Amino acid sequence: MLNFVLRRILVAIPTLLLISVLVFAVIQLQPGGFLENLLEDPRVSRETVENIRRQYLLDQPVWVQYLHWLGGIVRGDFGYSFLNSRPVSELIWERMGWTVFLAALTILATWVIAIPLGIYTALNRYGPSSTVLNFVGYFGLATPDFLVALLLIYLVLVSGGTTVGGLFSPQYIDAPWSWAKFQDMLGHLWIPLIVIGLDGTATIMRQMRANLLDVLNQDYIRTARAKGLAERVVLWKHAVRNAINPLISLAGLQLPTLISSTIIASIVLSLPTIGPFLYDSLLNKDQYVVMALLMLSAVLLMVGNLLADILLAWVDPRIRYE
Amino acid sequence: MNRRKLLKQAAFGMGLGVLAPWLSGKVLAQQAGQANVPANLFQEIGKRGGTLTLPLGSTPQSWNYFAVIDNFAYTVLNNIFDRLMQLDQVTFELVGVLAESWTISKDARTTTVKLRSGVKWSDGTPFTADDVIFTFTEVASNTNLRANQAATLTVAGVPLRFEKVDDLTFRVVSNKPYGAVLQALTFSPIMPRHKLAPFKPREDPGGYSRVWATNTDPKEIVGTGPFMLQSYVPDQKVTLVRNPNSWRRDPQGNPLPYFDRLEYLIIRDPNIQVAQFLAGNLDQIPITGAQFPDLKRQEVATGKIRVLRGSTIYTSPPHWGFNFDVPNPELRELFRNLTFRKAMQFAVNRKRIIEDVYNGLASLPGHGVAPGTFWYYDTRSYLGEWSLERAAGLLDSLGLRRGADGQRRLPSGKVLEFGFTYASDSLPFSAIAAILQNDLRQIGVKLNLQGIQQGTLLSTATGGNFESILMAYGDQPDPQLRKDIWQPGGQLNYWHRSVWPERGSSEPKFDQMFPWEKNIWEIFRQAEQLGDQSERKRLYDRWQLLSAQNLPVIMIVKPDAVAAGHARLGNFYARDSRIIFTNFSMFEK
Repeated sequence: MLNFVLRRILVAIPTLLLISVLVFAVIQLQPGGFLENLLEDPRVSRETVENIRRQYLLDQPVWVQYLHWLGGIVRGDFGYSFLNSRPVSELIWERMGWTVFLAALTILATWVIAIPLGIYTALNRYGPSSTVLNFVGYFGLATPDFLVALLLIYLVLVSGGTTVGGLFSPQYIDAPWSWAKFQDMLGHLWIPLIVIGLDGTATIMRQMRANLLDVLNQDYIRTARAKGLAERVVLWKHAVRNAINPLISLAGLQLPTLISSTIIASIVLSLPTIGPFLYDSLLNKDQYVVMALLMLSAVLLMVGNLLADILLAWVDPRIRYE
Repeated sequence: MNRRKLLKQAAFGMGLGVLAPWLSGKVLAQQAGQANVPANLFQEIGKRGGTLTLPLGSTPQSWNYFAVIDNFAYTVLNNIFDRLMQLDQVTFELVGVLAESWTISKDARTTTVKLRSGVKWSDGTPFTADDVIFTFTEVASNTNLRANQAATLTVAGVPLRFEKVDDLTFRVVSNKPYGAVLQALTFSPIMPRHKLAPFKPREDPGGYSRVWATNTDPKEIVGTGPFMLQSYVPDQKVTLVRNPNSWRRDPQGNPLPYFDRLEYLIIRDPNIQVAQFLAGNLDQIPITGAQFPDLKRQEVATGKIRVLRGSTIYTSPPHWGFNFDVPNPELRELFRNLTFRKAMQFAVNRKRIIEDVYNGLASLPGHGVAPGTFWYYDTRSYLGEWSLERAAGLLDSLGLRRGADGQRRLPSGKVLEFGFTYASDSLPFSAIAAILQNDLRQIGVKLNLQGIQQGTLLSTATGGNFESILMAYGDQPDPQLRKDIWQPGGQLNYWHRSVWPERGSSEPKFDQMFPWEKNIWEIFRQAEQLGDQSERKRLYDRWQLLSAQNLPVIMIVKPDAVAAGHARLGNFYARDSRIIFTNFSMFEK
């Protein structure tokens, strides 16, 4: 097992290098750049732009810039945000807390809700409640999250509520933690949870349902039933455990969505996560921030996959034996 | 009758005539005597206390004013720092802020400015001419800083000199007369020398740009403005509190600001800003003409909010630019042909755009100058009426005949079609694009719409990466401040890039210019070096006329200013078609 993990980590290094070259190249291919955007302001002269270009080494050939950046990474320096005149790592760190909190909470809520619903809809395939749940599922899949956000906010407004966007009411944002602040957060939190989680819940629910239906038609389930096992044992010990396997691999892919999936929802709902920060950096071509975030996303994808593989091996003995 | 009542009545009387407000404003100022801010900001005397909550469209990048180009940071910092002088919100004339008075020498080369006495920085240090000299010489004219003002602090290639006379007086000296010198001084907020000089902006601009980042201890950010920074929660909120050393006084001599706290909530989505405003979490929001009718209905229905409209200098009038250097030779020749551009102007249905796109909250545009202001020259008669027949007639006269399919043909026999780049994430721009495309189709011209992000519009334009484009530049109080746009060869004069100077040269390529472009270039060169405002006005009049006749770009409309605020806000009002409010004069009723 340890061998396996080590091997995976070793493979990850050249992969990440390749990704970084690609991402760097793509950023350079964009028309215009951070400095060209500066010219938009009437006060910025060409001279200023040239001076700043030298300040940030942007006058060097692309490969020199890349090696410079790579050298920084080795020393633990992720470069500088042109936009904010601050180290990239500080800026990411400032936003990490709420990003992880929101993502973890939504992922948790998604799984806790979606798996039982998937099982339920598989077992009661033609019942009216399943039909309703399936409809909600399709709605969740088909509706863009910003639209769900706007709909919910409209509903809150119409019903006289004031919790439209953000994680707190204005007076609690910079207040120290208290019971009232916690309650205020709960009052706000349900909207982002629904907006960010609806899509994932619907996906996982439908996958779980399809997998379970598949498994329930297998011979070994019939055998289990034929040998007189209780239906409870057949379902939980034989069917669900097999049906959930593909979903574990899927879970590994969810880690990078920490960064990218909440961009639009966070912008619409004014959430203090990394999403809008990435969006700003992309628009302004703040290249080292973009590099850092895309690389982080790549690392998370690899870590997620690795974790999923380990988890799969742990859940499913067959994989261990192979 | 107490003073408050008197003021209310005076304010009421102001609505009656056009001259009355100006007169009563003067009377009011004389009576009070103590106010050191324009009296026309006050509809009534306010009461102290409360929190003013406003939206901020994105996270501020830094608290170091000259190190970032970021309107969201500026929105916050403008409450913390003061300028020397500012434009009056009603008269658009210069009024002193940190400057008390100023005189310009006869040869228009020396401006002597007397500073307000008794002003202190928020940490108690006295404000002096040294701060002003530091700000202008070390920071504002430092071309190594991103948001420097060097361009406006230079005349005929020579930087202005700033000299201290005594602790509260300084001189600005130029080699040639400089007519826009006072305007140039309005751009830079004055920074505290005692806090920032140790970071050596001249010697180490890179290092200086990193100080006062958003994670700086708020106590370090020291200003003379009405508020000071208290805390910042990334991506959520900026909190300011009253500056205890604020020097501003209302007409009764009460200290300003009235509000104890000023909070900015960071809300990116304009729809959510409106929702937060309607939910009562925000006191005021900037809105567009498109949102006006909806909110006006809310105002009438609930009485909880007030929606104002007025005219202003600064809104950005959209214009239609043609790339004179487009690679396709046939289109290039066409775009350079005035008759063609005139035909296109006839196809611009300004009336419909004002009514349908801006809900009536826009008016006919000027050519580079906001209508109704000092420098404006009335060019409206050159805009012409919308007429597809006349447009078609002009196209016919160019030999662009319609084929059997109704499409016009270029001389080579190819269909007359070209790209129209616009910001698809801007509601008015998309609507204008659709209207133009539809109208041109009727006269056999095919417009290929190319929607791009608003944020990339300018780099697309200055990169020459378009055939025709819908752009907008904000107007400024003095044409000199916009010469980069309108003077041929300027770096924002994107439609004729082939006259741009060679790298390393400052002279544009005159041999590539049209005669009228040479005239305009010369007008800007002369006007820059004149002190006499009426002579400058005469020159700029001619520039506006030349633009209206030769259509370097086709101006579309000038949008009005609109604003929405909570009914509980006092001193938030409209008068003489101006929207009047400041964060220090508003209060909670």
